[in-house]
Amino acid sequence: MTWHSFINLSTMEHRHLVFAYASVLLIQGGYFGWIAWNWFRTDDRRH
Amino acid sequence: MEQRTPTLRSVAWLWFGIAIVVLVVGFREAIFLTPADAAQGDVGRIFYYHVPIAMLSLLFPYLNFAASLAYLFWRSRDPLKALTADAFAVASAEVAVVYSSIVLLSGMLWGRVAWGIWWAWDGRLTSMLLLWLLYVSYLMLRRFSATGQGQTLAAVLSIFAAVDVPIVYMSIRWWRTQHPAPVFGGGPNSGMDKSMLPAFFWNLTGWAIWGIVILLFRFALERKRQLAEQEAALQAIEASLEIPQ
Repeated sequence: MTWHSFINLSTMEHRHLVFAYASVLLIQGGYFGWIAWNWFRTDDRRH
Repeated sequence: MEQRTPTLRSVAWLWFGIAIVVLVVGFREAIFLTPADAAQGDVGRIFYYHVPIAMLSLLFPYLNFAASLAYLFWRSRDPLKALTADAFAVASAEVAVVYSSIVLLSGMLWGRVAWGIWWAWDGRLTSMLLLWLLYVSYLMLRRFSATGQGQTLAAVLSIFAAVDVPIVYMSIRWWRTQHPAPVFGGGPNSGMDKSMLPAFFWNLTGWAIWGIVILLFRFALERKRQLAEQEAALQAIEASLEIPQ
């Protein structure tokens, strides 16, 4: 498989493969981003 | 303590970097290097994310279970230890929700192509949905409980939630319906082709390392919040004790 055939959205089979991989990366990345955003919004009281 | 923080930060960045590298290798193996499944074609590549993440999604509830038991044990004996256990419990519950959400979503996307349906009330799918609902309930209970006992109630709920984990694991052995049989330990026809092993193990390793990254990062955030709340409470008490001039 190549990048071209991976991002080919012409069939349901290929669309669902891309959606599955993209949703995994978005959910994991989104959660990491949410933690990082809260990390910088929370005061560090140890120093 | 002052010297520990930069060292811990360096280790955390190194661990994060290792996770990204292993996940990139896993993605490359799964999409570009492993041949397409003979029966399912390219959509079978969802396997390399769905199955490793499904296996890992059953580990985080046990971490939550252990942390909840520790919280209940230390609650009246050692409140500072109980707070640490509670921070770990909320972190592991959130990571359990993240991983089980992915399992449900990727499974539905795969099922629509492979079975022609988005969902079936099959033993594995239903017990997994129940697990997801239990941990969403756990987080909502912590967030919205008005009794001041949210952490304790949630810790008790997590003990019941952990009971669902072996049911999810055994469901495809007990009830043979829509979901495929186990890949490992499912009898003489189980297992996978040798050509699939590198992609599977790179992704299993990558998502395990990543799970530790987000679990510890979320735990550190919760500890930071707890310390900030303690500090704010102390300042409020001190301010209330000041004698007006």
